[in-house]
Amino acid sequence: MERGDEFSRFPKLAKSNSGLGIIQHGDSSNSINNVNNIFNITDNVSNAGNIFNITDNASNAGNISDTSNTNAVSTMPPPGPVLREQDQYMPIANVIRIMRRILPPHAKISDEAKETIQECVSEFISFITGEANERCQSEQRKTVTAEDILCAMGKLGFDDYMEPLTVYLTRYRQSENERTSLRGDTFLKRGNAYGPMMMPPHGVAPFNAGFQEGTTDATSAAARAIMGGYNHGAPPGGAAGSSSQQAPFGNNLDPFDVFK
Amino acid sequence: MRQAGTYSGILSGGISGKTGPHLLPLARIKKIMKKSGEDVKMISGESPIVFSKACELFIKELTQRSWMVTMQGKRRTLNKEDVASAVMVTDLFDFLVNLVSESGHSGEAPPPLELDTFTSS
Repeated sequence: MERGDEFSRFPKLAKSNSGLGIIQHGDSSNSINNVNNIFNITDNVSNAGNIFNITDNASNAGNISDTSNTNAVSTMPPPGPVLREQDQYMPIANVIRIMRRILPPHAKISDEAKETIQECVSEFISFITGEANERCQSEQRKTVTAEDILCAMGKLGFDDYMEPLTVYLTRYRQSENERTSLRGDTFLKRGNAYGPMMMPPHGVAPFNAGFQEGTTDATSAAARAIMGGYNHGAPPGGAAGSSSQQAPFGNNLDPFDVFK
Repeated sequence: MRQAGTYSGILSGGISGKTGPHLLPLARIKKIMKKSGEDVKMISGESPIVFSKACELFIKELTQRSWMVTMQGKRRTLNKEDVASAVMVTDLFDFLVNLVSESGHSGEAPPPLELDTFTSS
């Protein structure tokens, strides 16, 4: 019997990167213990039908621990720390990669420093999550949402992070919308979010040629984003609106030439 | 922040190739979130994604501040003491004070409520 088969009956838990498939939290530990009981029984009980009666017939389960409690912990070691040490932290390679992005090329990092920062990241996550969760509970909600996290950050002093994270989240949501629906309209409302970034160089004529009202595939939607909130329903108004927002197109290139 | 290439970014969706791949594993983030409290039950799908970016910003800020301490000491190797100094000096990182002052294991940082009232910005 494959170990994996039995586990499909129980709530699926996240796989850790290190390969340990099962992590114990609270109540589910009993389920896993019962599974182990099953394995013990198949070795020692002739009647396979008893497998499903284990919790009722503790006497059949000769290899379970000696307590009479049908939910007895069997041969599994006591739960102990819920997560193994390496599962408590972000993978150190990822942390180092991010660090190197902002350090000068000649910089060196001691191993202790890497580990310290690794621990700090986990502490950061716990800290913010704790605050976000409190907020959730006070509002009688069960699910911690991205907004809760953003609010928690603002409250705990990380308000400098809120704006880039809001932009990031918006982009993510829009890319998800693109994938699941055909509406490109959401870009129009968020045009200013892309203001400082979406500055096409002069001479990007192909996008004018390819731009069609009403098409909603990724390319034209992206082109619309670049135009900075161009409203396909009213070209002159849109041009005026967005040109004030992205002024420096220069005198040579007017992306709305096509529509005048 | 890395900019998308002129054409590669635009043609592949316009936003630096959307938002992925993420720098930090989402499942691991979720695990740590759940561990932060017994009563953390459900987490929306977007939360780990926001956190992956937030942690990136956090690591960058902490590293940058630590590196400034390293440079002040005219050294080129960022070590643990530099990180500790950066934490001590920065109000924002008060929740890490216990963590960096204990060598080895991570302790529970007390909620810095009193400090928030004094250092309100």
